[in-house]
Amino acid sequence: MAEGGDVDWELSKENIQPLRRGRDISALRQALSQREEGPTSAINQQKQMFESELRTYDGDDPLSVWDRYIKWTEQTFPQGGKEGNLATLLERAVTRFTDEKMYHNDPRYVELWIKFAENCPEPLDTYRYMQAQGIGVRQASFYIAWSEEYENQGSYQKADHVYQEAFNNLAEPHDRLLQFHRALQARVSRQVFLKLENESSDEEPKQPERVSLADLKHRGKKKAIAPVNRTGTAIKNITRGLQSSGAPVLSNAANRQLVVFDENKAEAAGPSEATLESWLAPPPSKAKENEQKPGKWCDMKMPQKTKFGHSVMAPPPPKPTFQPFVEETDQPPTMTPCKINPAVNSVLSARKPSKEETPLKRLQEHHQQHKEAEAGKLQERSMYCKELLLSGATEFCFEELRAEHSFKKLAQGSQEEGGEGCHASAAAAAAAAAI
Amino acid sequence: MTSTLKGVTLKGSAELVADFFSFGINSILYQRGIYPPETFTKASHYDMSLHITTDAKLKNYLTNVVSQLKEWLFECTVQKLVLVITCLETNEVLERWQFDIECDKSAKESSAPREKSLKTIQDEIRSVIRQITATVTFLPLLETPCAFDLLVYTDKDLVVPEKWEESGPQIIDQSEEVRLRSFTTSIHKVDSMVAYKRTNSV
Repeated sequence: MAEGGDVDWELSKENIQPLRRGRDISALRQALSQREEGPTSAINQQKQMFESELRTYDGDDPLSVWDRYIKWTEQTFPQGGKEGNLATLLERAVTRFTDEKMYHNDPRYVELWIKFAENCPEPLDTYRYMQAQGIGVRQASFYIAWSEEYENQGSYQKADHVYQEAFNNLAEPHDRLLQFHRALQARVSRQVFLKLENESSDEEPKQPERVSLADLKHRGKKKAIAPVNRTGTAIKNITRGLQSSGAPVLSNAANRQLVVFDENKAEAAGPSEATLESWLAPPPSKAKENEQKPGKWCDMKMPQKTKFGHSVMAPPPPKPTFQPFVEETDQPPTMTPCKINPAVNSVLSARKPSKEETPLKRLQEHHQQHKEAEAGKLQERSMYCKELLLSGATEFCFEELRAEHSFKKLAQGSQEEGGEGCHASAAAAAAAAAI
Repeated sequence: MTSTLKGVTLKGSAELVADFFSFGINSILYQRGIYPPETFTKASHYDMSLHITTDAKLKNYLTNVVSQLKEWLFECTVQKLVLVITCLETNEVLERWQFDIECDKSAKESSAPREKSLKTIQDEIRSVIRQITATVTFLPLLETPCAFDLLVYTDKDLVVPEKWEESGPQIIDQSEEVRLRSFTTSIHKVDSMVAYKRTNSV
């Protein structure tokens, strides 16, 4: 019996992220047993293969490479996390095909979007963005994921609304949609039922009770006499002064229902939900910190360096108003010919939220650039294949790309010429040199 | 029971194995969400806390099955117990938990108890149930409401009791199979395995 393999997954069960589709057990075992690092490991080689395929693919279904790559990543990096780079991959894949109308209702593409949304801090924003862009509006899986998100957040009415929308849009497959809609209704009704049961059990001891510190309605016209019966209607309902805790008690005592704002009812009264927000870009996939993305250099300011190697911030903050404590025996450092405030170097300021580079912003820029390019007023154009170099999770250099192309030609050459291998490789080498 | 005897008799072994199935099936039903979690209550057994159903109908069904199973175990005529999880709508088999039972038939002749302490057996059973719990790490999410069915493979010449009927094997095509741990009472040996629909990736 293969006890060894079994133990492996059981020992690291906490480090395996469950997948909706389940895991391939052989891939899981392989991933758990291969812990070797370095560029020669099988995992890295396979990753490199996917990366180069992303760049050299010239068929008419570029999404398929991304789809396979992402699925492979999911299975191969069961812990998730940074090394798999799944979040980046999803973001790239999703952005890459935003403008490709032919993929908008491709189940694979919609699946990628849903995975991307689940990685975002605000999945609902992403779903709304998808709807506005028309991505997945004919796919049942999109509505199911969206509705589940609403349900998780407790807004059942909206979850139901999503299904209505799905039926209006004739999303496919219809059976699946119906099935999930029924399941949702069953869950909601069960919950309502349970709630009702709880409430009815609460209501039993609703005998009139006297309330402490409540104002009573007085009887008599000339002389105010306190009523004998001091429950229910005998209690004044006037609230005065600061009534933060008193008010609910009073209204409770008077058996009056508190008016609770119900967003679902307000929703029904207000404008219909179908109003689409104008999204410029998908919402951010996560709140990133301390990560700088490559950007323009021309309007960057390099920090000035003094001859002592300290970098000085541009506007030095004012001197501290307090006197720093200096021990009497402490000698001032002899080497301070420049008037640099030693406090300057260590001053930290809070990061300005407006300056933060979020994926949202990046995507927005990407989108706008694209639009400008279409309008023909793009002023900058990279005269090299920037897209190819930066497309996957890692960056390629020109030589790698060139090598990929020549290898491809080599393979083609040997296929065409069959047995005359020697000749073919010579021709391919010549071709490679010609690039 | 057997704990005082420091050994296992055939009757005790049948009881132990039947108990294991009762708890094992309960935990599978709970872990895989076949029944709503609020219909389960916690019970402590094998030094671990397990979830036992409170649904009267289900309880009744399981007791019936387990008591019948105990009889068969005692007679050493049972070969397999299979728990099949099917989609309620499409009747497609999604998961198949198979427990292969090997009976040592020589125990029927000699009534001498076998040397194996109850504690060791319980330890083994515990690790099997733990592993059942741990399988959520790779099993696919059951997205649709599901039903379950119990199949018992017995020797051929057995008379089918009332309330039981013959059934097909309900095999999943294109399945992924994972062997789990096994335990033995030295009379009955139980191998566990779970099969699930293969993921359509890579």
